[in-house]
Amino acid sequence: MLDTVFIGLSIGSILLLVALGLSIVYGSMGVINMAHGELVMMGAYTTVIAQTYLGFNLFAAIPLAFIVCAGLGLLIERLVIRRLYNRLFDTLLATWGVAILLQQAIRLEFGLSFFGIHIEGLGPGLQSVTLPEIMTESFTVGEFVIQPYRTFIILVSALLAVLTWFLMYRTRIGQQVRAIMRNPDMAAACGIDVKKVNALTFAYGAGLAGVAGVMMSGFKTVMPDMGSSLVVDGFLVVVVGGVGSLVGSIVASGILGQLNGVVAFFSNDIIARAVVFAAVIAIIIWRPRGLFNYKGR
Amino acid sequence: MLTLQSVNSFYGGSHILHDIDFSLETGKILSVLGRNGVGKSTLLKTLMGLTSSMTGKLTLNEVELGEQTTFYRARSGMGYVPQGREIIPDFSVKENILMGRFADQSSKAEIPDIVPELFPYLMDNLDRAGGLLSGGQQQQLAIARAIATNPQVLLLDEPTEGIQPNIVEQIEDCILRLNKELNLTIILVEQNIRFAKRASDEFLILDNGRLVCQGSGNELTDDLANQYLTI
Repeated sequence: MLDTVFIGLSIGSILLLVALGLSIVYGSMGVINMAHGELVMMGAYTTVIAQTYLGFNLFAAIPLAFIVCAGLGLLIERLVIRRLYNRLFDTLLATWGVAILLQQAIRLEFGLSFFGIHIEGLGPGLQSVTLPEIMTESFTVGEFVIQPYRTFIILVSALLAVLTWFLMYRTRIGQQVRAIMRNPDMAAACGIDVKKVNALTFAYGAGLAGVAGVMMSGFKTVMPDMGSSLVVDGFLVVVVGGVGSLVGSIVASGILGQLNGVVAFFSNDIIARAVVFAAVIAIIIWRPRGLFNYKGR
Repeated sequence: MLTLQSVNSFYGGSHILHDIDFSLETGKILSVLGRNGVGKSTLLKTLMGLTSSMTGKLTLNEVELGEQTTFYRARSGMGYVPQGREIIPDFSVKENILMGRFADQSSKAEIPDIVPELFPYLMDNLDRAGGLLSGGQQQQLAIARAIATNPQVLLLDEPTEGIQPNIVEQIEDCILRLNKELNLTIILVEQNIRFAKRASDEFLILDNGRLVCQGSGNELTDDLANQYLTI
């Protein structure tokens, strides 16, 4: 049973990384980023490429994926989202378009018809990442089997959650982000460059998605549509936790991750997913603004 | 010197302010008067760049601000205390005040010296959530936040509205003190004619988004008030 809790924790940790970015971006910019899952996928592919062509191991791929996805996020914000502020449904559709574009770009091996760049071995085929040796061998503490890679995922997620908390609550940039979440007009009237802060926020959220992609690449097959369902899971966490609430995202990802892990242990993944959705529906009926509301939806 | 020339302001397709012209010398207090819904608050929002769009010319000390964004205007010396105060309820008093420092890029994130003198209560409650303060204390907080932007022009939108009477006088005194001690130019949207008469060097009256009357403070008579301000 402890193993199941441990698996649930690692699932929750991935969900947390995905949801943190979504939550901050929606909280401060009012943008439902449907391409967030594809940014996770890009993080996973960055790992594949870095391993195949640069000889990077998974550890070294983490900062690289963060930088690549943050850069990509900055580009998406500049080219698409900045032009659609305060138009919720337009941003939803536009980012969905970006999601499809990113998926197809990968399917086309960064496209013969795309930028004329061809990367061997990507393509529509399945990919996997080789874990560093230290991450592959389980060991036991008493009767408890420790899986190093899942432990690593939990630690990285915890570290990034703490870093995000520090940035949001102990730095001037975090104060600007929180002020924009609460009252963008007054934030601007106090001299905050809302567009610039939003761009950085979006890039940070995209960077976190990239790191989630690296983590996923270690135990899941890397493929172009791997992020599609993740964005839904991420939003479930955001809705349950409360938009813009860091604590809410942490608690909700823990609850949903554990629920998924425990139910899957006693039945199967399909029933586990149904139970998770039922739980989410029950929670939003009970608390429509989420468990820890920071900003109303 | 603040100057507006042929300023028009819009919310989406709605034309709210029509051809507003006036100028205000540094260190003067201007009261903006008029019935509800004539565009007084919109005038302040226009000055801050918070309406959808504006046309015309807006300059502060010969720097053109009409084309600039809100944050740039704040950094150029426009401080704003909105109607309803709009402090951030879950920020502490200190965080709310320090929000203003983002407009003053040249100095450290510290509370300006005049704030403890004007608002000792706020200094004794720096860690308290802004949302837990009374209406009058929140108004003090909103003014402190605007002072922290290190403004040259302070825009005050009905600063005594909804405040208990014994606090109203304190806020009025504080506004006058800011004008005298910091030589702050102040534009005051006010329904309270008594305070407008007491404070104003100049006044202007709006009706249906147009400037219909303006003059020096001592020309603000009861007859004018009856003509333009009574319902």
